[in-house]
Amino acid sequence: MTWTCDLVEARLSDYLEGLLQGPERAEFEAHAKSCADCAPLVASVRSLVGEMHSMEVLETPPRLVYSILDKTLGPRETVTAWQGFLNAIRGLATPKFAYGAASVMATLIIVLGASGFSLRKPKLADLRPAAIYQSANRQAHLVLAHSVKYVSDLRVVYEIQSRLRQDENNLQTAPEELLPKSSPGKNPGQTDEHQPSQPRQQNRANEVSRQLQMLAAELPLLSERSVR
Amino acid sequence: MRRHTRRIFNICYRFTGNRTEAEDLSQDVFLRVYRTLASYRSAHGGFATWATSVTRNLLIDHYRRTKRDRITDSLDDKMPVVENKESAGRRPDEQALLGELSMQVQSALTRLSPELREAVILRDLQQLDYAEIQTVLAVPEGTVKSRINRGRIELARILQQMGVRPA
Repeated sequence: MTWTCDLVEARLSDYLEGLLQGPERAEFEAHAKSCADCAPLVASVRSLVGEMHSMEVLETPPRLVYSILDKTLGPRETVTAWQGFLNAIRGLATPKFAYGAASVMATLIIVLGASGFSLRKPKLADLRPAAIYQSANRQAHLVLAHSVKYVSDLRVVYEIQSRLRQDENNLQTAPEELLPKSSPGKNPGQTDEHQPSQPRQQNRANEVSRQLQMLAAELPLLSERSVR
Repeated sequence: MRRHTRRIFNICYRFTGNRTEAEDLSQDVFLRVYRTLASYRSAHGGFATWATSVTRNLLIDHYRRTKRDRITDSLDDKMPVVENKESAGRRPDEQALLGELSMQVQSALTRLSPELREAVILRDLQQLDYAEIQTVLAVPEGTVKSRINRGRIELARILQQMGVRPA
């Protein structure tokens, strides 16, 4: 390959970067050394590339970094510790947090109240585990006793009511024998709390079903009227 | 982030030759990167390569925008300039920042046409490999090599005109 000055110029970078191999390279060098134009060119470009490779990397001016951060993330305000704390607190003023905090407070108050800790006259002695256990125990028993009494009172009232209703029905439909006597020894109108018997419950069931039948008889009339 | 800032600032400074312009352009690059981060796809090469592309595009845009101002300067460009005249425009700290020869090379760089300038900066000052430069400039490898070669030769000629002797 005959190297001309134009070719040398075109392949100069390849030569400098070691991309020319063997005979090609030798011939390039041969021309470059002997040519009056190419020799200085090769030399100057070689030194220039060397110089550029050792040119120092400039340090970024510090304000550039801050300026970039300002423009991208927004200006950062300097805050005192107190302001920073207030800012953090302000961040908590969301409805979500408020609900959570309120429910936690409510739970605490309820639990404290249940444990017997008085908010008006708080005494640390009230928070002793033994004291809390005792008061909880007592309260549980009280609640149980109250509920048992309530349920049995309810039963009494129900029985009286049902008995009264039965008497009313007896008066209305006198000829019919509605109530087969459960126990012949007992007078009607008296309830027997100690032995709730199956027949009485059956009486009530019969009574209820009879009343339902009466309603069912009246219902078609009612519905006919509403249709018209 | 500092690593990227430094790289981008250096590219901008080497391209423009002006510290203030380089700072402004670096800021613009980061703003653009920040805003278009969604469009960055890793298929296009690493983040650094993408950021370099953004830098290069902004530099070319800036060059075209300020071309009108430069036409009046082009007469000076044609004449060989002695180094002192150049350094008069620099602040003392800038002169201290760069070595004498570095300053001369920098000055010569700004006289290079933008395509050659960017190729030489990316290859010889940023040490990017051909594949990366190809991605950044979006031209084939042959074009990349040719531009680097012509850029270097042109740069050497400019330095010669400036009266700078090769070391």
